[in-house]
Amino acid sequence: MNISKAFLFLSLLFVCLPLDAKPYVEKDLLKKIGIKYKRFAKKRFFFLQQTLDSVKEEDDLPKLDAVNEFYNEVRYSSDIKVYRKKDYWATPWEFLGKDKGDCEDYVISKYFALIYLGVDSKKLFFTYVRSSKFKAAHMVLTYFETPRSEPLILDNNNRRIFPASRRKDLTPIYNFNGESLYKAAKTGTGTGKKVKNKKAHKKWDQLKLNMKRKKI
Amino acid sequence: MTLFKQIAILLSIFLFTILTTVLTLNFKSANDSVQDRLYEDAKNTATSLSLSLGSANGDVSMMSTMINANFDSGNYHYISLVDVDDVLIFDRKGESDLSGIPSWFLYFVSIEAPVASANVSAGWSQVGFLNVQSDETYAYMQLYTILKSLSISFGLIALVSLIVLNLILVAILKPLKEVQKQAEAVMRNEFIIQSSIPYTKEFKDVVLGMNNMVSKVKAMFDKGNEELKRQKELEYIDKTTKLRNRKYFIDKLPEYLKIDAVSHGGINIMIAFNGVVEANEEIGHRDVDNLFVEISNIFSTYAKEYENSMVARMNGTEFSILLPDCTPINALDMAEEISRKTQKLIESLKLNKDSVYLALGLYEYSYKENIGQLLSHSDNSLAQAKFKDAKIHLQKSDNVVEVMGKEAWRKIINTAIDNNSFNFVSWTAVDAKTKQINHNVLSLTLNIDKDTRYAYGQFMPAANQAGLSNKIYKNILDMMFQTPDKNLKGTTCSIRLPFDYLEIGSTYEYMSKLFELFAKNLCFKLIIEMPDKLVRQNNDKIKRYKTLFEKHGIEMGIFEFIGESIDYTYLQNLRPVYIKGEADYFLSQSEQALSAFRLITDTVGISLIATGVMKMDTLKDLQEKDIHIIQGRVTEMIDIQS
Repeated sequence: MNISKAFLFLSLLFVCLPLDAKPYVEKDLLKKIGIKYKRFAKKRFFFLQQTLDSVKEEDDLPKLDAVNEFYNEVRYSSDIKVYRKKDYWATPWEFLGKDKGDCEDYVISKYFALIYLGVDSKKLFFTYVRSSKFKAAHMVLTYFETPRSEPLILDNNNRRIFPASRRKDLTPIYNFNGESLYKAAKTGTGTGKKVKNKKAHKKWDQLKLNMKRKKI
Repeated sequence: MTLFKQIAILLSIFLFTILTTVLTLNFKSANDSVQDRLYEDAKNTATSLSLSLGSANGDVSMMSTMINANFDSGNYHYISLVDVDDVLIFDRKGESDLSGIPSWFLYFVSIEAPVASANVSAGWSQVGFLNVQSDETYAYMQLYTILKSLSISFGLIALVSLIVLNLILVAILKPLKEVQKQAEAVMRNEFIIQSSIPYTKEFKDVVLGMNNMVSKVKAMFDKGNEELKRQKELEYIDKTTKLRNRKYFIDKLPEYLKIDAVSHGGINIMIAFNGVVEANEEIGHRDVDNLFVEISNIFSTYAKEYENSMVARMNGTEFSILLPDCTPINALDMAEEISRKTQKLIESLKLNKDSVYLALGLYEYSYKENIGQLLSHSDNSLAQAKFKDAKIHLQKSDNVVEVMGKEAWRKIINTAIDNNSFNFVSWTAVDAKTKQINHNVLSLTLNIDKDTRYAYGQFMPAANQAGLSNKIYKNILDMMFQTPDKNLKGTTCSIRLPFDYLEIGSTYEYMSKLFELFAKNLCFKLIIEMPDKLVRQNNDKIKRYKTLFEKHGIEMGIFEFIGESIDYTYLQNLRPVYIKGEADYFLSQSEQALSAFRLITDTVGISLIATGVMKMDTLKDLQEKDIHIIQGRVTEMIDIQS
């Protein structure tokens, strides 16, 4: 795509956007992403915005499908290869900017994209699972329609979303939802007394900090 | 407040602030660290326990047992399990035992143990949330121990720092101490040149500046001293014979003719050299001058036999020999000896002894006479001597009928000493320029009873003759220091102590003890006046007196000053507050001599006070010579401004 076409595409994109809607990736940040990860990365974010906008007014399930499908296009790569760290939770901007990441990075990016689309954070869980297919530790994003309903699994190894009962290859180990942990901790003294607590989960806390700092 | 104190306080505050800040930050850091530890412990428990609870597949009794087991094995304040609807499933709560922690510490340090939470699930299903809160007792204990350790460490650091700071400040400000000493010395009109020049530039400049200033003032003093010495030579010394001249004789006479004079009388020999014209014609001026020198030596040799004697050349052909305590018989013997020896000298020069001879008029004087009386009687005696064959004549003084005999006086004075019957009276020394009292001059009266009172001038000659004056002075010093007159509170008073009393070895020791015990009781500022005759000796005894006075805040004054000294450095060393001299003395001084003297006294801050000022004309003359502080009858004519 030459420059004039890209300009036309950009113009169309902004025309399509409701004027009062806040973009998933803000303009300044997008500019920085463009500088750091070059033109193609920027393009991926345009497509992400387009995808998100296309389901903005839909129910949760179409949103889940769209987000799952979009992010599953990103190539899988281990943290060692991408970040030279054994385990690193990347921000959605790093993940899409580099266009590669491991299972936690898929989960994180899907989670924040769904939150952007208005999905209730209480319904979304980071779930540590064991994959019998790869015989390895794995992480998926789980969606609970209600706290007691069967969750849907958003997995980067499987492009389609299935209920948990149909994913026999996965064994759940541990669930967590960072936002609900904050709330639980704040009122969890049994005395009714509120306790100052800004911590919930080490990796999650670090990720939130990176998000706040807009790490790209 | 001294600079040392100011800097020390400032640095101490600075040090204290820094240490307190560091202590606070350290403690806060320790507090945060302890709270983090509490959270980490709780979080680890929450995560591991939630994984365990997952294996219970939602069995509440199993989960309760697991929570109990965990709670009992660790230090937890609270563990709870709530379901997805926030309904409590099970909880355990412990009581914190904070008895070992002081209440003030609990009041000031608030620890909120953070709550760590974890999701609990059974397979894909959510069970709820697990909340874990560690027990803060351990954290309080740990923090209290940290605070104690920190306080001790910082206390020691502060102590060591303050000691080091003090030593450094003392070292840095040591030159300033020297500068301060020098400045104080300048204020006391002392001339101290600081030899050790400080390294610090600012101090160095100050010291060099002050050294320079002190050197200049000292040079002025020395110049004045040299000039005065030169003037004195011109003024008081006869060039040919090197004897004292008439002016000196007149200036010195008041010392012999006063109530409390050391000697109550003696003989004055007035000598005239007859035939000087003939002698000049016969042998020439030079040999006549040599003859005068030899005759002067004879006079001096005989005069030396009497303490405090005085030989002066009154004019070209007349001489005077004052012999205190000399009897008429001894004086006549001496006169004959002098006459015989000079006759021999005249004969040896082959001069005609009928035309060239000495006439000696002896006059028996008394301390009660004035200068005019002494000189006129002496002249009279000399006139009569010229008509006698031996050319010697003795004229005795008119016998004054004593109202009271010596023994009667002795008895009265002894009784007065025993009964402490002396009283202080005072008159004033007044600054005629400002019309203000300069100080009160204390004198004594002897009170026998309500109606009988003797003035100082009445009883003191008798006391001198009876050898009781020293006892009287001891008595009045006792009285002054032990029962100070409250009426004198806040004033400045002077007391005059005579030569004889101060010369006695025991006087210093006695004063030392008296001042040590009672000087602090004095309610007025005291100036002790000492005679110039004693002070100008500038010996160790005088310096000891000066040191003693300074120690007890007593000033030194000088009286009976006639500028006899050959060196005025003693004024610089002793720095009396004032010098008192007879009005006639100051008035008879030449412009140059007085100017040189003023240079000396002004340099070291000494006031000049003229005594015996009886007429307003005299005061006017004194003021023309820039002498304004006076004593005498004229003070009563000045309207004192309060």
